[in-house]
Amino acid sequence: MRLRPLALLLLCAGLRVAAAQDAPATSEAAPGAWTAAEVLGAPRGVALSGATLDAETKRVGSLLRCPVCQGLSIADSPADTAVNMLRQVREMLAAGYTEQQVVAYFEHSYGAFVRLEPAMNGINWTLWLAPFAAVVVGGLVIVAFLRRSRGAAPAGSHEDASSTALPADPQLAEYVRRVRALAAAKQGERREETRKP
Amino acid sequence: MNRKVFVIGLIVALPLVALLFASLSRDPTRIESPLIGRPAPAFRLAPLDGGAPLTLDSLRGRVIVLNFWATWCVPCVEEHAALAQAAQQFGRETAFLGVVYEDSAPEVRTFLGRSGAAYPMVMDEGGRTAIAYGVYGVPETFFISADGVIVDKHVGPLTPERLSQLIARAKARAGGGRS
Repeated sequence: MRLRPLALLLLCAGLRVAAAQDAPATSEAAPGAWTAAEVLGAPRGVALSGATLDAETKRVGSLLRCPVCQGLSIADSPADTAVNMLRQVREMLAAGYTEQQVVAYFEHSYGAFVRLEPAMNGINWTLWLAPFAAVVVGGLVIVAFLRRSRGAAPAGSHEDASSTALPADPQLAEYVRRVRALAAAKQGERREETRKP
Repeated sequence: MNRKVFVIGLIVALPLVALLFASLSRDPTRIESPLIGRPAPAFRLAPLDGGAPLTLDSLRGRVIVLNFWATWCVPCVEEHAALAQAAQQFGRETAFLGVVYEDSAPEVRTFLGRSGAAYPMVMDEGGRTAIAYGVYGVPETFFISADGVIVDKHVGPLTPERLSQLIARAKARAGGGRS
């Protein structure tokens, strides 16, 4: 239901652009174009129209932050500023500007803040990589912790393994042998029990 | 062991706490304009009362005070008197321009009918100029030197003192800057 006014607005923007395109393409007809051209130079892409233009406007619009909203893209916001910005995105795409050029135009006046996703360059790489680094470091900490606790608690099991050898004291060795025999018998009994129906 | 955990905890927590305190004194809604020190974006704006459009080029050679405002914006209405007074005081050497932001011409006419227009008002169709200048909200005022470079941007209502200070800075830029 929120999409309906948006669709209407898009339609209006579309009609406006269509009207502007009907007129000869002078700087007067599309006042947005020359402001953009001043910053960006000539369009580097293919001029879009129809359904492709609609889809691309929505996609590129979703990359740009609405400056008067809280964390919304201009494609998702019904605010006047967002509507104006989206209209300009549409005009620029219709004129053949690429996604990079459109984003660069808004970044030129609003700064990097206008990108909903920070650009992957320079210091921003730390931003992008920090979560992965945190997962790796956290994982290493957990592994180290588990290893250490396994090393502490099952220390007994290690002794078990090494104690197949008997103590040097013959008397003590005898006791150990008997205890083992008992333990083995007990285990055998248990197995018998579990086998019974 | 416990001591080690404590020290590691401190090493992790202290920078975070420092960052928090550093950020507390900053206004998170305030974002530096990337346009400061750069050439002012060109504009072509229709005067409220008709006539030839006003362009940046036609005003070159004078310091420009470009004020984005609207009648629905209370701080804009508050600063209007200061701007009107400064427009009279600084006369011809400084061009004052009121750019109407997301507002209708009749509303502006009604407002000005009451308090009078001391400097030209222009309509920003489709908010193009506001977008080109990276306006986040109103009031925002740009101070452009005589050679067309944005020297300062003021967010929020202007006081007469701040206004004359920023105009003086824009004038100084024109004197020492490139032509």
